[in-house]
Amino acid sequence: MKVSEALKVIDDGWVRKPEGFRVHFQKQEDSEWVTEYSPGEKQKALDSDVAAWRLAWKLAEARKSDTPENDDGTLVNIYVVDDLGTPIKYYASNQFEVFNRRDI
Amino acid sequence: MEGTGIFERYREMGELIASQGQHFIIALFILVVGLIVIKQVSKLLRILLERFALKPQTVSTVSTIISIILLVIVLATALEQLGMNILVIRRVLFLVSLAVIGIIAIFRPLIPTLPFKVGNTVKVGDLLGKIEATTILNTRMRTFDGRTVFIPNSKIINDFVINYHFTKTRRIKVDVGIGYDQDILKAKQILETVMIEDPRVLLKPARPTVYVLNLANGCVQLGGRCWVDNVKYWTTRCELIEKTKLRFNHEGITIAFPQLDVHHYHGDASPKFPGEEDHIREIEVK
Repeated sequence: MKVSEALKVIDDGWVRKPEGFRVHFQKQEDSEWVTEYSPGEKQKALDSDVAAWRLAWKLAEARKSDTPENDDGTLVNIYVVDDLGTPIKYYASNQFEVFNRRDI
Repeated sequence: MEGTGIFERYREMGELIASQGQHFIIALFILVVGLIVIKQVSKLLRILLERFALKPQTVSTVSTIISIILLVIVLATALEQLGMNILVIRRVLFLVSLAVIGIIAIFRPLIPTLPFKVGNTVKVGDLLGKIEATTILNTRMRTFDGRTVFIPNSKIINDFVINYHFTKTRRIKVDVGIGYDQDILKAKQILETVMIEDPRVLLKPARPTVYVLNLANGCVQLGGRCWVDNVKYWTTRCELIEKTKLRFNHEGITIAFPQLDVHHYHGDASPKFPGEEDHIREIEVK
């Protein structure tokens, strides 16, 4: 195996390099929970997970509700996903984190 | 006799003004109005070209060329009004143009030029910013903290200039020191992973690499090196440092910090170091 071939194997199998990040969240519309992303799926994804997690945290702080009832505009289950839609670990805790977690 | 000569001169001047004065005033009027119109046209042209999202340098060049052409037309019209032969004017302008082009072509390598163009991001001395305009005397730079600085061109020519326009990519250094009791291989692996998994980090011109830079006084210095696009350099660097610190914390790698061990001895007791006591006792027995 040539070195270039070995490097290809490493690139494909060791650490995956995501192409971008989006913030996943759910919100209530007409008594239905809908899933959305920021930036939207048709928009260019963020190239920084740090920026994406900051966006997620600020969204959670801005739209969290302390009451059990879901107000319009409450955003729940906020976390960061990669370009494949797979949740990624929060870089600050190295764990899968969800802000404003709510079982739906 | 002398008085008659002066009188003759005044008379000739009067006749000249009477015969040519009207043409002279018209020529002057054409010149003044022409210069005002050229200035306004140049301004409008710049605004129009900027709407087409052209490069600032292209806008400046096109605008200057058109201004020169208009200036030549205005000058030719004014001179024609003064009674000069239009054919002669054309020939003179043609010869002057050829001479200017020839001089520029021959002496261009010898003419000192600024090592950047409008729109480039450069560092001159301690100043880092984007070039907004250049004139014969100075260069206007907008720094990234919002200041407008006018730098004399003489200073730029005599100083080191870093122009970030010529290379699209730039290398990031993430240097971190770990304690001597830490797992070097694990720390290298973590640092390399942090760099590789970032989408902004490029695999060319070189892959992310971690080196053991130095066995320093208080730490083992590790150096992470990776390449990113120039425009993403600053944020990527800051975020890689942040992520490295946090990942080291989670993985149990302790980052070294400057420290100094101070040994304090009380009274007249002489300092004893490990292994020294036996040697002292042997001397006392003898």
